This record gives sequence, C-alpha cells and structure tokens, in this order.
Amino acid sequence: MIEFKNVTKSYEKNKSDALKNVSLFIDKGEFVFLVGRSGAGKSTFIKLLLREIEPTQGSIFINNYNIANLSKREIPFLRRKMGVVFQDFRLLENKSVFENVAYAMEIIGKSEKQIRKRVPLALDMVGLSHRINHYPHELSGGEQQRVVIARAIINNPTILICDEPTGNLDPETSYEIISILEEINRRGTTIVVVTHDREIVDVMKKRVLTLEDGALTVDDAIGRYGYEV
Amino acid sequence: MKFSSIKTMPKNVVRDTLKSIERNNLMSAASILSVIAALIILGIFLILTINVSELTKDVESRLELKVFLQSDFTDAQKLTVQQALEDSDMIESVTFESSQEALDKFSASLDQYSSLLSGYNSQNNPMPASFIIRVKDPNDLEAVQTLAMTFKDKGVEYVKYGEEYVQVLVNFSNFTNTLSLVVLVVLSIISIFIIYNTIKLTVFARRREIGIMKYVGATNNYIRSPFILEGTLLGLIGAIVAFLVIRIAYYYVLGLLSGSSFLPVGTTLASPDLVMGKLIYFFLIYGGLIGAIGSIFAIRKFLDV
Ligand SMILES: Nc1ncnc2c1ncn2[C@@H]1O[C@H](COP(=O)(O)OP(=O)(O)OP(=O)(O)O)[C@@H](O)[C@H]1O
Ligand SMILES: [Mg+2]
Repeated sequence: MIEFKNVTKSYEKNKSDALKNVSLFIDKGEFVFLVGRSGAGKSTFIKLLLREIEPTQGSIFINNYNIANLSKREIPFLRRKMGVVFQDFRLLENKSVFENVAYAMEIIGKSEKQIRKRVPLALDMVGLSHRINHYPHELSGGEQQRVVIARAIINNPTILICDEPTGNLDPETSYEIISILEEINRRGTTIVVVTHDREIVDVMKKRVLTLEDGALTVDDAIGRYGYEV
Repeated sequence: MKFSSIKTMPKNVVRDTLKSIERNNLMSAASILSVIAALIILGIFLILTINVSELTKDVESRLELKVFLQSDFTDAQKLTVQQALEDSDMIESVTFESSQEALDKFSASLDQYSSLLSGYNSQNNPMPASFIIRVKDPNDLEAVQTLAMTFKDKGVEYVKYGEEYVQVLVNFSNFTNTLSLVVLVVLSIISIFIIYNTIKLTVFARRREIGIMKYVGATNNYIRSPFILEGTLLGLIGAIVAFLVIRIAYYYVLGLLSGSSFLPVGTTLASPDLVMGKLIYFFLIYGGLIGAIGSIFAIRKFLDV
C-alpha cells in the first residue's frame, strides 16, 4: 500500500517543483503504470518511494508507515520490502546470474541453504534457469532484465518498483518482461511501472497515473496512455 | 532478522575483501609499504624509548636522596624532620642512618683497608647521621631536596642526591618519550591518510556495487565492513613485515654492540625478548587501528544517499 499526501518536491529553490502537490493511493496488489514526458517527475516519484530523497512538503505512507519518520538506520529495512528494477539493469558484471540473485539474499543474511533453494525458483519464474551460470555480458538485454527482476523479487517484497524496465528492449522482449511482471502481480505483489511504452500501457488495461510537469493530471482505473506526444 | 545477518556476513565479506585487495594491488602495495615505513621509523623510536626508560628505571631504582644532619642535632629536631619527610606524598620511604651505622657501612665498604678507619670511634666519628630517602618519581628529586632544605639549621646540614648524570638521564628519558609521541602522531596521520586514499579508490571502484547494495536493503554496517576489513588487513600486513624487519635489525645491532665497548660500563640494552614482546603487540594493534580508521573516513562520504 502506497499513499502520497500533498507531496511536493523541489530540488533547487529557483527551479520549478519536480513534483507538485501530488496525492494518490495505490492499494495492496494493484498494478499501476506511471507515465509522463521526460522531466515530468517519474523518477522523482520513485526516488521518494525508496527514500533516496525526502519530500519538500507532504507525507508518504508505505504499508501505513510514514516514511518521513524513518531514521537512517531504518531505511535499509524499508528497502527490503521493495524490489527495484531499472532501465539500465545494474547487474554486477563479475558475478554470475546465480550470484547476482544470491547477492540480494546474502546481504540480508539468508543462509546458504535458503539461497540454494530459492534462487533457482526465482530464475525459473523469470524463465532463465538455463542461464544460471552465465555472466551478464553473455546475456541479451531481455535476459539481463529477467535477472534483475529475479533479484528484485527474491526477498519477497510487498512492492515491486520498475523505472522503465523495457526502455532498452525491443517490443517482443518488452511484452515478455511485462507478462513476467503480471505474473508476479498475480501472486500478490504491488507493482508500479514507469514507462514510455504507449503500446504496452494500452494493451494491458491497468490503472494509469499521468504526470505533467510534476502534477498528477490523470488517474485512470482502466487506463490508456494519458498524454499526447 | 538483524541478528541472522551477522551470522552469514563474514564469508561474503572476506571473499569480497580479498578480491578487492588483489584488484587494487598497486595501491594496496603502496598502503602496505607506507605502514611498513611508518612502523619501522616508529619502531626505531620505540626501541630507543624502551631502552632509555629501562636504563633510567634501573638507575632510578638505585636512586637515593641523603639528608645529612648536623652533628649536634637533637632528638626533637630529628623527629620533626622525619615527620615532615614521611608526610610528603612524593616520598616512598625514609630510613634513618645514625653516624655509627654510617661509619660501619663505610668501613665495611673499604674491605681489607678498613683498618684505615681504626682510629675513629663513637667519640670522634666524622660521619654525619642522615635520612636516606627514596622518592616515588625521580622528577621530584629537586622538590624533595627543596623540602628537606627548609629544615636547614633546624637540624639539617645539607642534602645530596645522585650524580649529575642521573638528572641528565631522567631528562633524556622524558625527551625521548615526548619525541616518540610526536613521531607517533605525525606518522599515524600520514599512514591514515595513505590508507584513506587507497580505500577511497576501492570504494570508488565499487560504487556501483554499493549503489546496488543499498537498493537491495543492505545496512550501512554491512556495506562498510568489507572496506574496513580491507584497510585493517593492509595495516596488519604492514605491521607484520615491519616487525620482522625491526626484529632482524635489532638482533643484528645487538650482535655488533656486544662485541664492542660502546656501551657505558654497568648498563645493558633492554633484553631483546622484552622489547620484541612489547613491540609485536603494539605493531599489530597500531597497524590494525590505522587501517580501520583510514577506511572509516574513506567510506563515510559514500554512505550518504
Ligand atoms: N538531482 C536533481 N537535482 C536537480 N534537479 C533534478 C534532479 N533530479 C531531477 N531533477 C529535475 O526534476 C525534474 C523531474 O525529473 P525526473 O528525473 O523525475 O523526470 P522523469 O519523469 O523521470 O524523466 P525521464 O522520463 O527523462 O526519466 C526535471 O526537471 C529534472 O531536471
Ligand atoms: Mg526518469
């Protein structure tokens, strides 16, 4: 569950706000697209969720907890409830597919037994079992993004956040990635996807939030790509 | 959940640390060399300090201050002076030596020539009675002398303490202590700075990884630990090498000196086992600390966000 209450974010005083008085509610188990022109404030929205930055005004609730009240020590534990997928993958080049996914479990102190059991399951879920011992540079973009998704869900986050997950992929691969996300969503994880991909948004018929110059202008329950190019 | 993370940490951390030292081998070598250089210089000063302080301690343990009494002192005067001396917290012990005892002692020290003193007896004894004082701290010798001198003409004739060289030795010992401290501080800062720069390179090389760690929810301590381990390890390696160098050199110098008459009569260098025993602990603790401190500074900036 994600709630924004009158959230404003300004990076610099003399520049216009990156987010302007945004209020919204995303329920547990929802699948939401976030669209908008370049510079509309989409990444800002995601950084706020991850508590990478703090709102200038307003408050943000995740699972009923006001994340503005988090101390520095608590931030890692907030992030363990959220998986993140980026356009540029962000895999560790010197680690194999297995190790990249296992890494996320090592970091939060899971035992080797748990790791050996769960990593193959997650890789199976994203359809990458046959690549388990390969290295990122041996994989296609779509395959790399599957690894990232496996890493993002390995610790059972309640929320999965994707910043342009298909930005570097061809249409067919993009569909495969999105259907993996849909499958994850079906198992109960809340999903927020930032995208510029009009076709995917229109086909999926999910809720669409549209940002324009930092303001939330459209919130469509069964949405279509909200703004004209 | 927080506790279980500590359990599995060491293995990953050790693995990543060793990889990192290997990857940055040039800077790692530079850090280790700087620790070695710093510790060798420090080691030389420490050995000097230890030797001087052993020497001083040795002399100090034999160090007495003698307060001679006038030949016609009264029992009341003796009591007053003794009381005053015993009340001072600078003084370890006060022993009275009567003129007869002094004469006997002197006579005994003359051995086969003691017959030279045979003309003297309790009636014409030339030896004055005295208080033999041991001070707690040799730096207080002068103050105690001053204290005793306040009883001049109240029974005290004069006060005499050790030879000149004792004072010189005490001064020199204080000087080497101070000098070692200064060298310690200066070299520590330099070493910390060099390790800081090495670890900063490591941190920079792994900044992508640090970013990813944060998104996956790694705690700051978890992110920090491999870097601190790396710095500590560099410091420890430097410490061990420096210790071996110093050890070999010390025994070599000792070998040279034992064959010569370079040292003043009656003095010895501190026992090498004693020196080396002290040194190895100091080096290990120092090397490890320097490494850890340098790394903590290096990683601090990257942990915000
Ligand atoms: N760290 C920053 N410092 C100053 N201004 C920033 C910073 N990050 C973003 N901005 C500004 O905030 C506004 C929103 O940026 P944001 O990155 O959220 O856009 P976006 O919707 O993600 O765009 P894109 O589709 O290109 O990724 C832009 O005007 C941008 O220049
Ligand atoms: Mg963006």
